[in-house]
Amino acid sequence: MIIANNVSKNFGSLQVLDNVSFEINKGDIVGFLGKNGAGKTTLMRILTSFLAASSGKVMIDGDDIAEHSLTIRQKIGYLPETPPLYTYMTVQNYLKFAAEIKGVAVNRRRIQLAKVLEECQLEQVKRKTIATLSKGYKQRLGIAQAIIHEPKLLILDEPTSGLDPMQIQQVLALIKNQQEQRTVLVSSHTLAEIEQIAQRVLMIKSGQIILDESLELLLKGKNDNPSPPLTLEKIFINHHQELTQATAGGI
Amino acid sequence: MSKVIALAKKELNEYFSSPIAYIILIATLSLFNIFFFMIIDQNREVSLRDVFQVMEFMFVFLVPLLTMKLFSEEKSTGTMEFLLTAPLTPSMLVLGKYLGILGFFTILIGMTVIYYLIVEYFGSPDPMSILSGYLGIWLEGAFFIAIGLLTSSWTRNQIIAAMMSYLILFLLYFSSSFTQYFTGPMENFLFQLSTRTHLENFAIGIITPSDIIYYLSGILLCLALTRISIDNRLWQ
Repeated sequence: MIIANNVSKNFGSLQVLDNVSFEINKGDIVGFLGKNGAGKTTLMRILTSFLAASSGKVMIDGDDIAEHSLTIRQKIGYLPETPPLYTYMTVQNYLKFAAEIKGVAVNRRRIQLAKVLEECQLEQVKRKTIATLSKGYKQRLGIAQAIIHEPKLLILDEPTSGLDPMQIQQVLALIKNQQEQRTVLVSSHTLAEIEQIAQRVLMIKSGQIILDESLELLLKGKNDNPSPPLTLEKIFINHHQELTQATAGGI
Repeated sequence: MSKVIALAKKELNEYFSSPIAYIILIATLSLFNIFFFMIIDQNREVSLRDVFQVMEFMFVFLVPLLTMKLFSEEKSTGTMEFLLTAPLTPSMLVLGKYLGILGFFTILIGMTVIYYLIVEYFGSPDPMSILSGYLGIWLEGAFFIAIGLLTSSWTRNQIIAAMMSYLILFLLYFSSSFTQYFTGPMENFLFQLSTRTHLENFAIGIITPSDIIYYLSGILLCLALTRISIDNRLWQ
């Protein structure tokens, strides 16, 4: 579904991504991990064609992002870190607007609207103004706008950020349900959440991919003889420490 | 085209979803009314020529207030990312927003048509000169809005966007006042650059191709520059 080949991004003299390469298969839910400033959001913005890469190539569903940006955006649903909502609109008017600008056919709009309202459990607030909604509803509305045009790829940038435990579980369940319909790339700081939903993990540090492995193999491999058993959180910390020590040793 | 219409509708609805649109409409129309009756009372003629010139002067101050948030607000609230990752071209985005605010402006202008009915009641005004005056003031507003749209695409700060609009509009409006300090081609350039020069003809019922080209080329240039600004993410 996604093939990224030696993708780099510079902002002036600052290199945010350094020759990033990876592949994501159709139907996978992939967790994207990294500390603040590691380059997660920049990479997601390149995948959604909001930003252009300084060098390298990205193919999504067989199309080169640099050449077929419009076609690719039709295939992508994106939720940025802050849900992009027009707070003066009602929930259903916002989703209608999202459907219109995302090119949902006129005869499909009502069906799609009803579908995402149900899927994201927004039915009871559909006539409410967005400004009056709780953070959990706003986040689910952000996901609803991202899936209203039935994208093949869903990209979610920290979708559980700032939510309470109940809201987090609702959002995670919603993401997990997407697996049957589309490929999902989801970033998060909370590794326990990624463990719940992802099949694969990509880890990024200082603009470089430092780990790309199936979650099952990762946990199984690391748990061959562990005491106590390793979690993704420990693996994440170990990887960062190992790399920091290796860099320090190298110097 | 349906995406452009959706964007234009959203823009227009956004204005009317807050009290600001109504305040602007009421305040502007109240000022227009005061000036209209003052002008009619003073000139004692069945013409709207001077009314159009007052409108023009007021639009220099009004339009930046209407346009300052067009792109700036989208950037500061993060919804720009939503628009630019949707399957929309920068041209659709620019055109949609432009048509939305132009719709609001047209409603504002439309509400002054009552002035024609009032002068018609008291005398026999030349309908063609009033029609051409309306065309001129509409084209001028459309040009001012395109300038406001452009400056709004440069920054995420609404105040800075408005200030830049004021700078450009003052320059265009007052450029003919500086002709006395220059001679030759510069004098002619400043005279032709001024919006007042071009509206004057419309206000007295003369429609010339050069005046129409002035406004249309100004609008197209600003829209093209806005498109480039959006495409290149110049505010980042």
